[in-house]
Amino acid sequence: MKRTVDVNIPLGPIHPCFKEPARLKCETRGERVIGAEVELGYMKKGIERIMKGRPWQEVMFLAERVCGICSVIHNMVFIEAIEKISGIEVPPRAALLRVIANELDRMQSHMLANFSYCYTIEHETLAMYLLDIREQVMDELERLTGARVTCAYIVPGGVRCDIRNEDRDTLSASLDRIEHDLHRYAKMFETGPMIALRSKGIGILTEESALQAHVVGPTARASGIAVDMRTNHPTYRKLNFAPVVRHGCDNYARVMVRFDELSASIGLIRQSLRALSPGVIRGGGICKAGTLRYSGEAPRGELTYSITTDEYGRVAEIQIQTPSIMNIEACCHYMIIGVDSIADVTSAFVSADPCIACTER
Amino acid sequence: MTLLQRIKDLVRSRSIHVSYVDVGSCNGCDIEILACLAPRYDIEQYGIYVHNNPREADVLLVVGAFTLGWEEKLKMVWDKIPEPKAAIAIGNCPISGGVFDRRGSYVDPPVSKHIPIAAEVPGCPPRPTEILSAILSIRDTVFAGWEVKQR
Repeated sequence: MKRTVDVNIPLGPIHPCFKEPARLKCETRGERVIGAEVELGYMKKGIERIMKGRPWQEVMFLAERVCGICSVIHNMVFIEAIEKISGIEVPPRAALLRVIANELDRMQSHMLANFSYCYTIEHETLAMYLLDIREQVMDELERLTGARVTCAYIVPGGVRCDIRNEDRDTLSASLDRIEHDLHRYAKMFETGPMIALRSKGIGILTEESALQAHVVGPTARASGIAVDMRTNHPTYRKLNFAPVVRHGCDNYARVMVRFDELSASIGLIRQSLRALSPGVIRGGGICKAGTLRYSGEAPRGELTYSITTDEYGRVAEIQIQTPSIMNIEACCHYMIIGVDSIADVTSAFVSADPCIACTER
Repeated sequence: MTLLQRIKDLVRSRSIHVSYVDVGSCNGCDIEILACLAPRYDIEQYGIYVHNNPREADVLLVVGAFTLGWEEKLKMVWDKIPEPKAAIAIGNCPISGGVFDRRGSYVDPPVSKHIPIAAEVPGCPPRPTEILSAILSIRDTVFAGWEVKQR
């Protein structure tokens, strides 16, 4: 079908609002966007290819480097898949420590996503506030795991290092401080009239189109779909986890879902700290052969590892499905279409929190 | 050194525009560069301003193991930056390929094969303070007396 287009505006690969290289081609008529196309391929490293045939000790570190922002969950899903294949049990203390590390990672990722959104709509004050409390979360993550970004905290049969009692107290004191600040910043976002002008009713993704596009994570939960892989996880079940859902379907709802999830994460960490009982943090076991498909909830949505191992614990086949690819597609086909001006394209794109590094791997 | 040169040096040392380009990293170094913007590290107190426009930039931060998609494009970005300019490689990947430099991967490290690199910051990922001190160390060696060095 032939379509009349005024001008074809390319955004990226190097763009002030995008953290990573992706090219977004918008077909416009006047100021209105009538079609969009995303062009990937700047970040393809072929991680799955170099993972094949390597022992899990090496693949563990490669899995972590699929995505630097959500490195803990990549580590966790890969290790739990290996554990499920081999029938290795995790001590209860280690399972709770995994939840703490994972939720701290989710917090810093959501804060970064909300920072990017506020930066894109030019609300630099709130963006800097969020980046400032993100540093406190990074400190806690570093104190727990020993590294800021790629921490390799989770190993088969447990976790790498224990949390000391004084660190526990520091963590809960720091969580109180973070929650106080976070509450204030969420209120600022909720009630800011200028923020509402740039966010409410922009980048609409209705529930039907969200189901059609198979969106995952906070993007789906902002459109009223209660999908969260954490509800299937045994440790989260014990902590009575319930997903956060909003029905706004716009940029504002997506950012507010992340703010609500930050509070939920703080609650989960507090519960885990309270439930933490003394005991060992590493069990034993032998990695065996088998095939498994296993999913977990990354900060951006469902993350699936499909693994085949051989009897020596080497990874024979591996396939990774990351959340962002569905969200990027939904962004191009539904959210961006019909926005009032080109200025809203970047904010709608950033509100879905696309992660190009894990999309292309 | 003339007065004009001294003024130029002073102004340049307090106004460094940074652009960053991701040529196939895992995002870990990207977020550490973003963390430099945080009030804790406060990159702007040194007169460093991070934005992603190569045409206004003085320093290019290169992140990542150089994927094949960037084959000619990184050179184009580098040519767009006005003189005097410097490129800094952030992280292990642009220096050696890091964990990605294995048989079967689609990367072509090091980045210094493709554009001239002035400084390297190893680490997986380096801390924000290390990135900051690398940018500040470039300041005097590359930008001071640039016109004199050209003669």
